[in-house]
Amino acid sequence: MILTGLLLGAALGYVLQRSRFCVTGAFRDLYMARSARFFIPFLLAIAIQAIGVAALTGAGVIAPEPASFAPLAVIGGGLLFGVGIIMAGGCATGTYYRAGEGLIGSWVALIFYALFAAVMKYGPLGGFTEAARSRTVADSTIQETLGVSVWVPTILFSVLVGVLVVRQVRKSAGRKVVRLPARRSGIGHYLADIPWSPWVGGILLGFLAIAAWVLLSTASGRNGGLGITTPSAKIVTYLSTGDVTLLDWSVMLVLGILIGSFIAAKLSGEFRWRVPDANTILRSAGGGVVMGIGAALAGGCTIGNSLVETSLFSYQGWVSFAAIMLGTWAAAWFFLVRPQKAAAKSRPAPALSPAA
Amino acid sequence: MPAYTLETNGAVCPFPLIDAKSAMEQLNSGDDLIIGFDCTQATDSLPQWAADDGHEVVAFDRVGDAGWTITVRKGA
Repeated sequence: MILTGLLLGAALGYVLQRSRFCVTGAFRDLYMARSARFFIPFLLAIAIQAIGVAALTGAGVIAPEPASFAPLAVIGGGLLFGVGIIMAGGCATGTYYRAGEGLIGSWVALIFYALFAAVMKYGPLGGFTEAARSRTVADSTIQETLGVSVWVPTILFSVLVGVLVVRQVRKSAGRKVVRLPARRSGIGHYLADIPWSPWVGGILLGFLAIAAWVLLSTASGRNGGLGITTPSAKIVTYLSTGDVTLLDWSVMLVLGILIGSFIAAKLSGEFRWRVPDANTILRSAGGGVVMGIGAALAGGCTIGNSLVETSLFSYQGWVSFAAIMLGTWAAAWFFLVRPQKAAAKSRPAPALSPAA
Repeated sequence: MPAYTLETNGAVCPFPLIDAKSAMEQLNSGDDLIIGFDCTQATDSLPQWAADDGHEVVAFDRVGDAGWTITVRKGA
């Protein structure tokens, strides 16, 4: 039943839209704002998934196969992907759900991302990607190198995340942040009015990621979790070849993200077609190209690698997590911090007009 | 007290926040900055920034679908 993919994707899109969950922002703001408000909930999602996946594996429900580690492809691809998501203003998943909110710039980024993922996976550069990703080293996972059970890194990581969560909660306790006036009452107030906190977003993301493992193996017998890049490339390839075998559970998942986010935005009065200026469109297109190339080389995006492979404690997951983060920091400096500093000297300040 | 408007419609995050911070630097404490924006994530990041930096939010509301306005009074 590939339709479960559509439902899970819709739930994911809904959750991400309501919680304004943005992995790009989580990485970027660690550096730019010294803020871990979205970063720690993201780590929490990894920990929840790691515990769930280790338990399901122990129970024999699923049998995850961590990716083999190709250091150069993963590091290079991760860095590129990090740069791309700053240019595009959102990671692959973020771009899907913002497209569902009606952002034309995100549609542009999405189309170029999917196109270049297809070029790298099924198109003219497929051989290059395969060659780069076949230069692997012996061990795939941390537990393999250490010769321990997967529970050892799972428990250590979960304890670490637990400590970080407590610290972050204490830090923000008692701080009053102004909210929009309520427009709905009852259950609608919670479902399609107030924004969900990053914690709600992170926790639900972790559980949806576990559900993906179970639903995918039930639907197709395959072992895998959430993934965005491969299905995006499959959509482009399907559209240009008509090969219906490409339309699988994972394709339904990414289409579901668009639908779920659209429903969430529409119900909350947050959908509108929004057209950016030419510069933003160009940057989104460039970002999409770099994202597609980077994700194909690294073997995943902020979901496939930074959320899913990390929960298996594979080297591909954690090394690309670090590479993507470094890529976002470098690009944030280049595209956001540096122009600001230059502007402070030369550019006229943002146009301000006295209000009546 | 003087009030100034900053229109950021069409700008995607994090630009509304970056522009708001830079605009705020030009104001005196007690001045109001009225920011119009249509990037959904800024409904989170702008009030959060005000709370973190000690500015007072005197108004925060929707303007039609996917449009918002927030008035931030510069703190001491």
